[in-house]
Amino acid sequence: MPGESGVQADRYHGFLFNPADLSEEVDLDLPRRREILYFVGSMDRWTHWQVLALPWNASVDQVKDAYRERAKVFHPDRFPGLRLGSYRSRLERIFRRLTEARDALSEESARAEYARRTAPPEEVARSAARQIENDARSKERRARMARTNPLVSRVARVRELMDRGRQAMAEERFADAARDFMTASAMDATATEARTLAEQARRKASSGRARELWEKARAAELQHDLDRAQLHAEAAAEAEPGEARYAVYVARLAIERGALETARSRAEGAVRTAPTLATAHEALGEVLALQGEIAAARKSLERALELDEGLAGARERLRKLRWSFLR
Amino acid sequence: MSENEPFIGIDLGTTNSVVATVIDGVPRVIASRTGQTLTPSIVAVARNGKRLVGHMAKRQAITNAENTAYAVKRFIGRRWGAPEVEDARKVLPYELVPGPEGVDIRAMLGGRAFAIPEVSALVLAELKADAESFFGRRVTKAVITVPAYFNDGQRKATKDAGRIAGLEVVRIINEPTSAALAYGFGKQMEKKVVVFDLGGGTFDVSVLDVGKSVYDVIAVGGDTYLGGEDFDRRIIDWLVFSFAQEHQAIDLRQDKMALQRLRDAAERAKIELSEGRQSAIHLPFLASGPEGKAALHLDRQLTREKLEDLTQDLVDRAIGVTDRTLRDAGVRTGQIGEVLLVGGMTRMPRVQQAVKAFFGREPSRGVHPEEVVALGAAIQAHALLHPQKGKEVLLLDVTPQNLGIMVVGGYFATIIPRNTTVPTSQSHLFTTVQDNQTTVRIAVLQGASDKAVENELLGEFVLEGIRPAHRGEVEIEVTFDISADGIVGVSARDSATGTRQSITVTATSGLTEAEMRRILEENLDELLTRRQVGDFERLRDRTQAVIAEIEALSPAVKDALARSRFGKDAVIRAEEVVARARAATEARDLQQMIAVEEQLDRALQLFKGLAAGTPPGEKGA
Repeated sequence: MPGESGVQADRYHGFLFNPADLSEEVDLDLPRRREILYFVGSMDRWTHWQVLALPWNASVDQVKDAYRERAKVFHPDRFPGLRLGSYRSRLERIFRRLTEARDALSEESARAEYARRTAPPEEVARSAARQIENDARSKERRARMARTNPLVSRVARVRELMDRGRQAMAEERFADAARDFMTASAMDATATEARTLAEQARRKASSGRARELWEKARAAELQHDLDRAQLHAEAAAEAEPGEARYAVYVARLAIERGALETARSRAEGAVRTAPTLATAHEALGEVLALQGEIAAARKSLERALELDEGLAGARERLRKLRWSFLR
Repeated sequence: MSENEPFIGIDLGTTNSVVATVIDGVPRVIASRTGQTLTPSIVAVARNGKRLVGHMAKRQAITNAENTAYAVKRFIGRRWGAPEVEDARKVLPYELVPGPEGVDIRAMLGGRAFAIPEVSALVLAELKADAESFFGRRVTKAVITVPAYFNDGQRKATKDAGRIAGLEVVRIINEPTSAALAYGFGKQMEKKVVVFDLGGGTFDVSVLDVGKSVYDVIAVGGDTYLGGEDFDRRIIDWLVFSFAQEHQAIDLRQDKMALQRLRDAAERAKIELSEGRQSAIHLPFLASGPEGKAALHLDRQLTREKLEDLTQDLVDRAIGVTDRTLRDAGVRTGQIGEVLLVGGMTRMPRVQQAVKAFFGREPSRGVHPEEVVALGAAIQAHALLHPQKGKEVLLLDVTPQNLGIMVVGGYFATIIPRNTTVPTSQSHLFTTVQDNQTTVRIAVLQGASDKAVENELLGEFVLEGIRPAHRGEVEIEVTFDISADGIVGVSARDSATGTRQSITVTATSGLTEAEMRRILEENLDELLTRRQVGDFERLRDRTQAVIAEIEALSPAVKDALARSRFGKDAVIRAEEVVARARAATEARDLQQMIAVEEQLDRALQLFKGLAAGTPPGEKGA
């Protein structure tokens, strides 16, 4: 059968058959001999999949079926009463190799692990591509969800606001940040972070605003427009009530304008808010002195000097008071 | 098919044997020349010297009990002096004697000692004659079944029996596998099957994965001393005991004829109780009365409940083995597609209930649980001799027990674990134990125990011409090989010099008990040890850590002892142990280190106790 042997030669392309093996006196036809010799000669470098003539990553059930099919072909019992010569031990070795492959692949976790290890390169590339594709797809899916699902869209909106607020914070646009955080906190009552951030932003925003107003007040003062200066300074003190220096500034402007009542209430307020602020005590002392409450004025001025020895104005005023007292 | 030579499959059972063949693709049992399908596995030598087999032998058993051998399968391939053999001997009406070598067992019949395979051969010859009369021509080729749990020696002896009977034993196959084959014949089975085979003398359980006509055995288990004989024995003991109570301690077992009658009655009662609720046992004139008084009769009612009570532990044992085997197979009861009952004992309702309860499903049974094994053997014979396209079956069986060699310390190192599909081959690396050791002795064993001496010795050989070197430096590769025919081959190779020795393991009967002991005791230093890379380092570190801990505790212990009169000698012993551990570590003597490890641990515990103020022997005082 020359035709058939031609086909066979193609199938075993590159495999060298030992002529002595092919011509041994045994009861096996030539194709069968070739098949056995080819298997024995290749099985050590074959993967378990190849041994069982299965595609890579075949299932446990496929493995079992293939093992049975192959065992029926190669098991020595399938050649009863035939002279097998050296082929008998070859058949047994093939069977052992089949069993080895079956044993290695018949338990799912071991099979999967082996599949990972033996994945062909194009399969590795394909799975990497699939991974990237999956990522893109999941992003798109999330966006679509955000558009259509009210709950999801709300969560997404809150996240967006928080992100924008943080961005504004970083850029010191505190008012914008405060607005975003406030909105976020209103949309999601459970978001405590939004609430704290909103509080922080608001504080920073008002201190910025207060500073702006203070600068305007200073500018007006330098232009001797004391009324306008007073207006801006009042606004600054309103904007940041915690900052006593603005109140002190208001008090001083009021003294200069002779509005002693206003000055006194502002100075007292400043001392209450910041008991350790020397300039607050100084301003109060000055108002009190001007109002003729000498003892109280001295006490305030002494306290101011205790806190800051370098207050020349206070020292001078105190000296004058002493002097007048002695007199 | 008729132009082909006829072939038979034989179920050589403990109590009954069956022969079958395949005619025109259909398996069928061959009836005996007297028309019965079951042939009792009984051989007798009549008073006139004539040998009787089967029904003929069974019929005369009562009057010729001491010359009638039954259940010899329990002794085939066994050693004289084995505990199971000694136990069974107590209730045998016929006599067992040791063979000339003192190893194997002989049955005394008509004044002649028959080797056990010889007795079995007479049964096989009877079946062969039945088959020949059926075919009208000579029959030589046979497949014979054995319990799956039979070891290599028992299989070999069975094969020998076939040869003595003039049969060419094409293959020895396992009874449960055979039963599965017959059960699945002609069906398109695609599932996991458990065969629960409780026969006359042995219990076997096999788990198979069947598909595409391939019968793939996953695991086998069993007990070669659990079967109908044991159930009968419980009834006999019960009868004997109650009779002794009634009649001033007359031991019926002393009377061979009475014993044989009890045996028959017990078996009959047991069989009756598979159908009925109670059975009357009536044995008149069973024993002669004391001092010329009237003869004594035995009259008892045995209820099914009583029988179940007497044999509950036997049933439990079978279920226990089944559970273990399923676990070996890594299969849960829920995954089993079919549970097949085989063997006469599975007719007992209690057995069926237990199997059903264990598997949570109704077990299946062929029409004739006694015939199914022989039918399977015939199918396998057919497949091995006359394969036909399309109808082929293929049996893939496993090794029932661990195969390995003996290593230093008298331990057993497994090379081919049980439940490995055959044919197979596996190798392990071993190293020498002694410096300049030039020979190694390889003792080939089979069994389940860690200790070599508790396993079956299959054979031994010596590998010589090893290159002299320090111990542990020479690597020796031991390879076990089991062919499709179940023949075990062993070879050992010195990887450095390439020196190779091998044996084909043959019958065990050539070895005496004395030889066994000699191998185990002498030449210990010619043995091999497992390659233990890194073991020494690990153990050394551990040993040194324990010694350091002991020494750290030492002052506290001395302190405690100054105040107590207890424990002084214990401390001296502990110090000796420490010294020995040090010496062993220094000598890099792994065996000695292992030996001293446990004592060292105990010494540490003792020191800890003393340091904590609890002298030994004074606990709680």
